[in-house]
Amino acid sequence: MTLLALEGITKAFGGLVAVSDLSCEVRAGEIFALIGPNGAGKSTTFNLISGLMPPDRGRIMFDGVDITVMKPHQRAHLGIGRTFQLMQPFHDMTVLENVMVGELYGHQVPKSLEAARRDAEAVCERAGVAHLMSREVTGLGVADLKRLEVARALATHPRLLLLDEVMAGLTPTEARQAVAMIKRIREHEVTVLLIDHVMSSVRDLAERVAVLNFGRKIAEGSFGEVAHNREVIEAYLGEEEVNGDRP
Amino acid sequence: MTRGRMPKLVIGVVLLAAAVLLPFPVNRAQPYYLQLTLNIFVFATLALSWDILARTGQLSLAHAAFYGLGAYTSVLVTTRAGVPVFAGILLGSLVAVVAAAGLGVLTLRLRGIYFAIATLAFSESLRVLTKQLRFTGGPAGLIAPPLLAGNLPAQYLVILGILLLAVLVSWQVNRSRWHFAFTAIRTNEEVAAVMGVDVVRFKVMAFAISAFFAGLTGAYYAHVFLFISPFEAFSLAVSVGALVAPIFGGLYSAVGPLLGAVVLRAGEEVLRAALGDGFLIIYGLILAGVILYMPRGLVGLWTAFAARRRQPAARTGRGVP
Repeated sequence: MTLLALEGITKAFGGLVAVSDLSCEVRAGEIFALIGPNGAGKSTTFNLISGLMPPDRGRIMFDGVDITVMKPHQRAHLGIGRTFQLMQPFHDMTVLENVMVGELYGHQVPKSLEAARRDAEAVCERAGVAHLMSREVTGLGVADLKRLEVARALATHPRLLLLDEVMAGLTPTEARQAVAMIKRIREHEVTVLLIDHVMSSVRDLAERVAVLNFGRKIAEGSFGEVAHNREVIEAYLGEEEVNGDRP
Repeated sequence: MTRGRMPKLVIGVVLLAAAVLLPFPVNRAQPYYLQLTLNIFVFATLALSWDILARTGQLSLAHAAFYGLGAYTSVLVTTRAGVPVFAGILLGSLVAVVAAAGLGVLTLRLRGIYFAIATLAFSESLRVLTKQLRFTGGPAGLIAPPLLAGNLPAQYLVILGILLLAVLVSWQVNRSRWHFAFTAIRTNEEVAAVMGVDVVRFKVMAFAISAFFAGLTGAYYAHVFLFISPFEAFSLAVSVGALVAPIFGGLYSAVGPLLGAVVLRAGEEVLRAALGDGFLIIYGLILAGVILYMPRGLVGLWTAFAARRRQPAARTGRGVP
């Protein structure tokens, strides 16, 4: 069953077409990766899905509902959660309070403060930040901030979780922990759509991969399939390098 | 917990009792102090109102607009339409709420300094408008009918009631789930939105609550001062006054703006008595010093002091093997 469908979405900033006629389907329950060189339009795609900007053309369907013009908070209520590539914690709040925002406002049915606190504690446990709950966010390290990003997104109890480069800047050990965490998240019947540059993690996690280059989708399939796609190799290595390999 | 709460409760009860009793026994012969306290309370209510809006990251320079709208509406309906003064004051604050909701929707996308400039423009244009229009009395202003037949102690109790309501609302907002929405919007609007916070709703709501109290105090003060003019009702001094006290006292709480307003206005009065006309220079220097060296205001100073007092004890505790 298709959970998310992008139908020919296009987004331009002035003369720069960031996303061009992109169509893509994410099935319920899978882990789907969006990869591509810098500036390929991956983060813009996330912004379009989470509602931070409207597409110029095209349609976005979530679980059969047209969400193209919905506000971000309405999409959150429908079950779309996301993290941000540049960690953006709420300063002036503790880690637990950061997560509580999601518990309080991420659902259609409002929660009491007490219920939200209790549920946020459970989410912190799942995301591996339980030992930091009473800490102010200022002064947290990269790995902990990434975990907090995930915890906040999980607190809205998403059916679709968008992970924007949660591996970037992590040590290999931390990245392995993150991979394990994402696998655990999927077991809770959460569909995952992720952007990442760490290819070993993408290979370990994603059942299907789509490759973007200059806003266009140039390949889609399993990691093995796209890794051998000529256009993909050119996009990553540059045409000259590839041509230079010829005898 | 009880040990920490008891003294606070006692202090609160004593202060409240003093505030309620102030007009009665000793001070009946001293209308000066009563008038001064009344002014401080007007100032404090404005400060609390400004702070509630600031919690959503919206730094307003439009509080004179809400204050003036409350004042003009109330004076106009009481003099022209024969509405009772209390009803006029309430109507004035409601008009301020409606205007604030409108302004809130228009300024939704503006942040920081751009937001401040837009709100200032709103306030200034209202001032020009009241100066030019005939039915608002033009530059000459309007005479306002007195509240409670000009009985100062009774008027004082009314503003005490308004102030207590503002304190209660400010405090209650911080204890409720709204606190999380307000703080999230202030620190990062986009993240707040994707986490499910209806940013527009909360921003406009903060505007409305804030304007209600600003309009209420403006209307109230018009019927105590008995005269309004575009220059006073919509003056930048009102907007600046509303934001100086929370910054001085400590932002995003009920205590900070209240403390800031009391200390600033009382200090201003002392300086004026001691220095005469030159007092504004010293006053300005003190303000600049506080903003530069005490970024979290009086409340921040107190928190830092309390933390330092706790620390030595903790250190000896750790030293014990």
